[in-house]
Amino acid sequence: MFGKLLKHEIRHSARYNLVIYLVAVAVTLVMALSLITESSALGAASCFAIYITGFATVIVTLVSVIKNFYDTLYSRQGYLTLTLPVKSGQLLASKVLVSFLWIIVGFLIMALTWVSIFFYVKEQTQASFDVLKILFTDSGLLELLPSGFVVAEVLLVFGAIVLAKILTYVGYIYFAVTVANTRAFQAHPKFFGGVTFFAVMIVISKINNFLTAKAPVTFFVTTEKAFFGFEPMGAVDGAIISYGVGGTLFTGLVALALLVCTAYIIEHKVNIK
Amino acid sequence: MNETVKVEYLFKSYGKKTVLDGISFELKAGEIVGLLGPNGSGKTTLIKILTGLIKDHKGSVLIDGEAPGVHTKEIVAFLPDKSYLPDWMKPTDAIDYFADFYKDFDKAKATEMMQRFGVDMNQRLKTMSKGQQEKVNLILVICRKAKVYILDEPLGGLDPASRSAILDFILENYSKDATMLLSTHLVNDVERVFNRVLMINNGSLVVNMPVEEIRETGKSVEDVFKEVFAYVW
Repeated sequence: MFGKLLKHEIRHSARYNLVIYLVAVAVTLVMALSLITESSALGAASCFAIYITGFATVIVTLVSVIKNFYDTLYSRQGYLTLTLPVKSGQLLASKVLVSFLWIIVGFLIMALTWVSIFFYVKEQTQASFDVLKILFTDSGLLELLPSGFVVAEVLLVFGAIVLAKILTYVGYIYFAVTVANTRAFQAHPKFFGGVTFFAVMIVISKINNFLTAKAPVTFFVTTEKAFFGFEPMGAVDGAIISYGVGGTLFTGLVALALLVCTAYIIEHKVNIK
Repeated sequence: MNETVKVEYLFKSYGKKTVLDGISFELKAGEIVGLLGPNGSGKTTLIKILTGLIKDHKGSVLIDGEAPGVHTKEIVAFLPDKSYLPDWMKPTDAIDYFADFYKDFDKAKATEMMQRFGVDMNQRLKTMSKGQQEKVNLILVICRKAKVYILDEPLGGLDPASRSAILDFILENYSKDATMLLSTHLVNDVERVFNRVLMINNGSLVVNMPVEEIRETGKSVEDVFKEVFAYVW
């Protein structure tokens, strides 16, 4: 049943996202065309358009996550979704997973638009990048970089941190939308949804920042290795990067707690209009 | 006959306002029961509780021996008073959706019924008339071989000519050994199909009577309805 929930969740949410993804692809193609035709006017316009599209992709994705969650659970469609023979935990998990995937795709597309702009600019201004390359090599910065294996470890850890952050924001959104659709708050759902979202986000961010700085669980990166240590940030001499992960662990747990609360509220407190 | 739905001392309030005030009744297999009452009488809240949409109530609700949950949702076919399908869906999408989630859904029958009622299978719901949308919703629900059907105002958006046809369609196609609870304010159009009626007033069950007994008194269901809810007019 979970697979079917995922299938229909993707079908339902794809309508908003696919349009903006197609726009991003179309604008990128126009930019490529401007390079072939050597049209600087077309190139400049498409470069600007792709920059805007990159941001728009992320915004559209986030809006679609909120709208899709609200529409399918708390508008009249809720009568269909919430009478399906599935547990509310399964229902929520399918929504979290699909939203999570769309947000990652949204950010990836934004990153790809930036990469395409980079290559466009590189193509147009070959010399300036050569100058940068020379500066970087001659200054000896290249020698300070850790090995490829360490870089891979760093990317893995920071990738996991980014995923935890995305999960946390999905948790904030779902919790806020759900609280706003309980009988006590649903007279003004947008207002109370916004208040809940920002209140939870601000409180959790403050605790996250405190724990990131103070909790003695840190990810250290030196030129030779990357490792976790039970020491505060800055405790290891020669570390290129030291990042406190106590805050991330905390927000990850908070995200899970918020999702459990959301499932409980859906099961017991939500009132579909 | 054994009871499919058993409600005992059901109580529900929103803040200080009591919406259901300790009502009790049973619905048996094979019965078609009318749920009647004016707006705000508690019908919708009762339906929401029976369909598992509201859980924070007092008293006991058992459907097929279990409290509303995953099992009861498998055997209850619910039609709300407004279309609950997403606007972007086409009837083919909606049929796939029901086939995926309900084991008792008869996909072939639903497809045939859609065609018989002139529903364009590839037209998006948002471009259909309200009447067409209601037909799609109703066909999907009736094409389940459910143990309990809960229909909330199934004739509300239809013209008088269509009401009779839709009612006949419901009677011809629902699972005959099932229980049907049908909420409506169009008493005159529907009373011929009821075996029994429940009338709710201010959260209390004021009438729970077989239609046969009502007719023995020389009255129609509509006459009783008007007597009970005379104050509304």
